[in-house]
Amino acid sequence: MKAKETLIPRREEPVNHTAAPPAAASVIGLSKRFGKTSVLENISFDVAEGEVLVLLGASGSGKTTILRIIAGLEMPYTGKVILHGKDVTELPARERGVGVIFQSYALFPKMTVEKNIGYGLRIRKRKRKEIKQTVDELLSLVQLDEHRKKYPSQLSGGQQQRVAIARTLAYKPEVLLFDEPFGALDTQTRVHLRREIRALLKKVNVPAIFITHDQEEALELGDRVAVLNVGHIEQIGTPFQIYNHPATEYVASFLGAANVLDAVVKKDFIEVGSAQIPKTFEKDEFKPGDCVKIVFRPEDVALSINDFLRPGYARLSTAVIDEVTFIGAYERLRLRLERGGEECKTQESPYYLTTETPDREPTKWIIATRPKPEASTTRLHVGERVVVALTSFTVLPLQGTRGAN
Amino acid sequence: MSTIVPAMRHVRGFDIARPLSIFMLVFMMMPLVFLPLASIFIFGTRTGLDKFWAALMAPEAIFALKLSMATSFWATVFNVIFGLFAAYVLSRHNFWGRNALIVTISLPTAIPTAVAGFALLLLWGPYGTLGRLLAPQGVQIMFTAGAIILANIFVTFPLAFGVIKPVFDTMSRSLEEASATIGATRWQTFWHVTLPSLRGAIVSGALLTFARAVGEFGSTILVSGNLAGRTQTAPLYIFAKFNEGQIEAANAIAIVLALFSFLIFSVLFFARDWLDVD
Repeated sequence: MKAKETLIPRREEPVNHTAAPPAAASVIGLSKRFGKTSVLENISFDVAEGEVLVLLGASGSGKTTILRIIAGLEMPYTGKVILHGKDVTELPARERGVGVIFQSYALFPKMTVEKNIGYGLRIRKRKRKEIKQTVDELLSLVQLDEHRKKYPSQLSGGQQQRVAIARTLAYKPEVLLFDEPFGALDTQTRVHLRREIRALLKKVNVPAIFITHDQEEALELGDRVAVLNVGHIEQIGTPFQIYNHPATEYVASFLGAANVLDAVVKKDFIEVGSAQIPKTFEKDEFKPGDCVKIVFRPEDVALSINDFLRPGYARLSTAVIDEVTFIGAYERLRLRLERGGEECKTQESPYYLTTETPDREPTKWIIATRPKPEASTTRLHVGERVVVALTSFTVLPLQGTRGAN
Repeated sequence: MSTIVPAMRHVRGFDIARPLSIFMLVFMMMPLVFLPLASIFIFGTRTGLDKFWAALMAPEAIFALKLSMATSFWATVFNVIFGLFAAYVLSRHNFWGRNALIVTISLPTAIPTAVAGFALLLLWGPYGTLGRLLAPQGVQIMFTAGAIILANIFVTFPLAFGVIKPVFDTMSRSLEEASATIGATRWQTFWHVTLPSLRGAIVSGALLTFARAVGEFGSTILVSGNLAGRTQTAPLYIFAKFNEGQIEAANAIAIVLALFSFLIFSVLFFARDWLDVD
């Protein structure tokens, strides 16, 4: 992606694209309907051996349904589930060998920790010695040796979760599926467990699919993240890609705050209001005259009280500071752009725009954040006028997605 | 604080409402529950323990107690298994007519036991709808121990189901789903995961059913024929001996039945924690 080259140099993602590893698990063209409502449309993705894929979406995006289809707890309407090269679409849950970590952990309440972990082997009629050995290994892997005789109700949430993971690892699952695994925990425990699980997964090298609605969790846990929106995948990519190069406005705004402004593509630049900012997209992506949206994050906004800008910054407009909030590590500013982002009109766009539509408001608000050192050296106050520039931004078509990403 | 002091007066110092209400409760229960129960024991032991023992050891009395236990046992076995099955079906599947079935299963509690016995006679009696077909084959269900079991099943039908179903309803589906994804068959899941969680409900359901069946009178007297030494259960024995004026004989069995129900309810009450232990 050439996008960032015209602007200031930025940390780029380290590239190590060796030959694509074979998929450990894949779904191909999944769709699902409940009655007449379609909840999934044409979902396809692969998970490589040892890879962690996060399905990120709001509630109702269909992420749980995908998980249940892979687990065999739900039948797809169309499409296939392939685990290590084998089509398992028609197999019942118990013959698939997937490990599901339910949100509630679903530990068997009348079994001790070691009985829970050994359950998969007991029902497979393994030898007692073998079961004991595996259970011992797993107990030390998840560091629960001293809790082996306890019942699930005597364990903390994090311990229960580790038992749930160990219980699935016992039968060497094809893939691990985590259904909102941190949903029931408080923020601190959640962050701690997230790191613990990530380390554990790297150790056991089993491919894993997480579902979550928490973008921070997705970015931290996933080798790759698939962003879901009402039953389809908006974008799938590394956390870096989806955060910095969102393919759609939905992805941009779902992963943290995003500012969106209308713009028009000209021959040599992009026009945002009266400002001209450099073209950052590949050559043929947009033609001159196209209406586009430019999307940028609050931390991509540079503010200056004089008109002095570092080379590479794209000057946007002047703005008046409307609100300054201190939020811990950052200072958050709400700014009213004095010009820029006016409605883009192409030949095709009909004139039925109404003033009631909030997007059509003539005043454009943007949000900017400044790190603490900058905020304390250059103080800004409500009512002051500043120059707004962008250090980085993404250009998206007015409607739909931007092709390949 | 000062504004709420008047409202808090009753929690400070002596409050007459407390002992008064407790006394009222005990006083009201005296003639209604305590005295009738006590009189069984007072009357039964007044004539001496040897007479009580002799009355209890009468062959007909022993037979009546044994018959009651046996018929109640089989009715309990049937109703617990049936209740388990019915609760599973009605809790796990949603289908048209589900609520109608739940109501039908629960209905026998609301039907007078005499009506239940009469209904069984109309169906299985020698001239009944089905009994008429069986009679030529020499099969006679009414006026046998089998009839008593049928009557017991009918009147205790919803008890075990009523205890087991709520547990099924609150049991998380994800436990069974987890078991399935781990690789268990339906039967393994039921045996290792579902059933252990139902242990408490099954035991209390069984005890309730048994206690109710042992005491059943209204339907039993109609379907059993009340033949001493053949189809006479313990409650029928009490009734028969009382009618014959043999108060001691009736009283001996009454004491046994009363003690027996104390025992069952003590188990239900004190074993609750054990039954629900995780």
